[in-house]
Amino acid sequence: MLVKKETLARFLVVGLVLIAVVIPFGGQWLSGRNQPAINELHARMPENGGWSMDTIQAKVGQPLHLHITSDDVVHGFTIGKSDQPALEILPGEYVDTTLTFDRPGKYTFYCNRWCGPNHWRMRGTIEVSGTGTPLALDPQPLYLKLGIDIDSPKAAEAIPSKLASADRGAQFARLLPTYAVERDTYLSTSPAKLWLRLRAESALASLSDQDLWEAVAWIWQQQTTTEAIATGQKLYVTNCAACHGETGKGDGVMVRGLPVWDAGSHTSGDMTPQATGEGRVSPPDFTDPKHLLGASPVLLEGKIIRGGMGTGMPYWGPIFTTPQIEALVSYLYSFAWGYTNLQVK
Amino acid sequence: MTRLDLTCFPWAKTLLRSRWPQFLLRAITLAGFVFTILAGLFGSVVGSHNFAIIFVWIAWWTALKLFFIPFGGRSWCSICPIPMPGEWLQHGGILQPRGKGIGLDRRWPHFLKGSWLQAGGFLLVGLFGAVTLTSASVTAVVLLAIIVLALVLSLVFERRSFCNYLCPIGGFTGLYAQAGPVEVRVKDADVCAGHSEKTCYSACPWGQYPLALKSSANCGLCMECLRVCPTDNIAVNLRPWGSDLGPKTKHRLDEAFLGLVMLASALVDSAVFLGPWGQLKSAAYAIGSLPWLLFAGVFLVAALGVLPGLYAAAAWAAGRLGPSKTTLQNALAHYSQVLVPLGLMAWIAFTISFAFTKFSYVLAVVSDPLGWGWNLIGMSGTAWVGQATSFSLLLQIVLLAVGLFWASRVARRITESARPAMPLIAFSGIFSLGMLWLLIG
Amino acid sequence: MVSQPPNNTAKEHWKHWRWTFLFAVSALLILFAPLPLPGAAPADRHIRIEASMFQFTPGELKINPGDRVTVELVSTDVVHGFSLDGYNFELKADPGQTATGIFVADKAGDFRFRCSVACGNLHPFMIGKLRVGPNFLLARGIGLGLLAVIVALWPLRKPSTHRLRSRP
Repeated sequence: MLVKKETLARFLVVGLVLIAVVIPFGGQWLSGRNQPAINELHARMPENGGWSMDTIQAKVGQPLHLHITSDDVVHGFTIGKSDQPALEILPGEYVDTTLTFDRPGKYTFYCNRWCGPNHWRMRGTIEVSGTGTPLALDPQPLYLKLGIDIDSPKAAEAIPSKLASADRGAQFARLLPTYAVERDTYLSTSPAKLWLRLRAESALASLSDQDLWEAVAWIWQQQTTTEAIATGQKLYVTNCAACHGETGKGDGVMVRGLPVWDAGSHTSGDMTPQATGEGRVSPPDFTDPKHLLGASPVLLEGKIIRGGMGTGMPYWGPIFTTPQIEALVSYLYSFAWGYTNLQVK
Repeated sequence: MTRLDLTCFPWAKTLLRSRWPQFLLRAITLAGFVFTILAGLFGSVVGSHNFAIIFVWIAWWTALKLFFIPFGGRSWCSICPIPMPGEWLQHGGILQPRGKGIGLDRRWPHFLKGSWLQAGGFLLVGLFGAVTLTSASVTAVVLLAIIVLALVLSLVFERRSFCNYLCPIGGFTGLYAQAGPVEVRVKDADVCAGHSEKTCYSACPWGQYPLALKSSANCGLCMECLRVCPTDNIAVNLRPWGSDLGPKTKHRLDEAFLGLVMLASALVDSAVFLGPWGQLKSAAYAIGSLPWLLFAGVFLVAALGVLPGLYAAAAWAAGRLGPSKTTLQNALAHYSQVLVPLGLMAWIAFTISFAFTKFSYVLAVVSDPLGWGWNLIGMSGTAWVGQATSFSLLLQIVLLAVGLFWASRVARRITESARPAMPLIAFSGIFSLGMLWLLIG
Repeated sequence: MVSQPPNNTAKEHWKHWRWTFLFAVSALLILFAPLPLPGAAPADRHIRIEASMFQFTPGELKINPGDRVTVELVSTDVVHGFSLDGYNFELKADPGQTATGIFVADKAGDFRFRCSVACGNLHPFMIGKLRVGPNFLLARGIGLGLLAVIVALWPLRKPSTHRLRSRP
């Protein structure tokens, strides 16, 4: 009887401990069997390893199931250059999503919720193989086509004495030469350079310097739309404000304590590598006209696409579409101009 | 005598004598322990979604501080899984001792006896607490190390040496069990006088002799003595709180040390975990860094210097103010009883302060214990940030007031007159004020 | 003679329990008696709180009861939240996107605010403190503590008087 009781007791202990062991391992095995095609993707701050998978393989037309979670802080998941709505990934919680690709190629997935100073490095690739029209290659950025050096110092040669208003500039529209309102001119010329060219025009000699600035502001306004500025603002707020500051002053939370950007030292050879692996500086103050008014849209687009050499400015080429970049650039200029009738903010 | 012997009730007697209820509970806690370790090692790294963190530091800790100790003394120890594998090997049987156990059965070295190691262990837990409490894998490793250590010690030393002299939880559980409402004692001493074999002593895993048992600090309520006593002479009494504290009770210096370590830990843990000082928390977390060394230094100075210093001053003054002169060592040991209710209530208040806000995590983690996205009971993802309600705040100040009242009462009882009690009451008041300010201020 | 017992027991009960009753009433008064708030006029306040892993800066705030408080939450590294105990007030801020909210401090006392968005290991301990007016609860706690000591020492009086009486 004693032996029977002891045996029963042993059986119970082993049984209960076995249940304790089976729950985690069995559970894992079961879920592995049920959904073999699910990719479990862990999001972590780049300091903690970044995405658990750098590259994900997929096939054209076949749904890609992703089981995504975060191991530390709030992250986001979305695909670059797509209108895939961004998913919020909360620590410990899982988000399931299914992606289907109809064109082969390399897609970038990235985190779109700021998760530390290295947030922008949190990117990975989905390599989609199979038949279909491959993804169009990105067109060569304009700054390369035009041979513009986007790193050399670009302080504005002249600046307005007070904030120029595009509305008031409208009254001078009929006086402006044709080239002034052409898109190509807008793209490749900085506001300051355009102002200098217009200043040299005898037909505009009667306009004061400030009047001329307002004409240039109006020209800039004509090259964009309300919707584009709104889009640009949304992009700025979620992607740029953390470093560039919510008011564009270059005082974002991520760049505190960094040395001020000096136009003179712009190559990585001049900077001491920081903890993030490359030199970082705080961005210029966009509300100071000498910076933005000295930059052409092509230069700004180039900076956004390629990032800054040795400054810590991320490269957004794989992330933003061309219309998005153009929208962002036109929003950026609003820090220097006053686009009142476009109801910016 | 104000004792209610539970063995007077036939159903209680059967329940306590039978090995099965206690065994089943132990088997369940052992399985739970194993599961906790596995969850900590293989489950989510996000602490709020891991069974190990939520259950060890919130659910079990709250149960221990709010129920097991205040209402059952050392009752957790009777179902604790940690010593079980070792004890089963020692006994050669799981359900009951069968005499063919393995183990060297050595005596615990005399100089290591007492609560010194337990106090030191608790200090160690406190120094590394910020990381342990927030990292599931560290929690799991600590639990694994403890159960392995207990097992190894059981194979070398006799009985429950780990529980008696090393386990940090056992240390304060035993200390506060002196104030607890449960005790195991003999019913009639004369019956024991006529019984020379002392079966109870041989059976006791804690090395206690029921006839000589004056304090519940080292009795783990395992009921072995109850089961083997041939004359049914063991009583399990419900008794008033604080019964092991009094003018005639014996106390030792190591109890004073443990009591003081517990008080200091309550203050430091309240400051680190519940205070608004982020730099302190980061310092406590960054183990090995200079800020952490500073934090550790301050912690140790508080636990080994400030609080003992204040207490020693109070004990010395109390000794001087009393009519009969006593040595400082005796005073330190004897008056340490005051630290028992003071610490017990302070830890209950502290536990309420953090546990009440975090309780929503318990059911959520039962639903998804490993943080793998399961939803076993439909409660996954239901945890919320929680807040301190005015009820919980009121409760905390009432508990601290009760602790101060109780400590003052004990001080008054163990000194011959009111005057020598005053320094001890002053010390208790200063401590209570500190806790009050940290929790409520 | 016949009518004595009921009166006697009632009186004895009262004598026996009067101090307990008195102490209980005192305790309840200390805990629950309403206390007057200082007359500082409610003002509009603007508080900017920075949240980082794992602290709020400033970590301790002081305002007056009735103040209308605009809180700006600025996250400096990852997404953080702000949840104020005792008020139904919560904010969530991404770095680069200051979150703003308004609440009226109609309750006096010390309230803790906590991070409400998981932001790493020490997230459950990311806590700050808001003091609205005087901290009555702390005063009540101190009062209750003093009462506790008095009650603990109270029966001292009985033994000496009893000893005198019992001597023949």
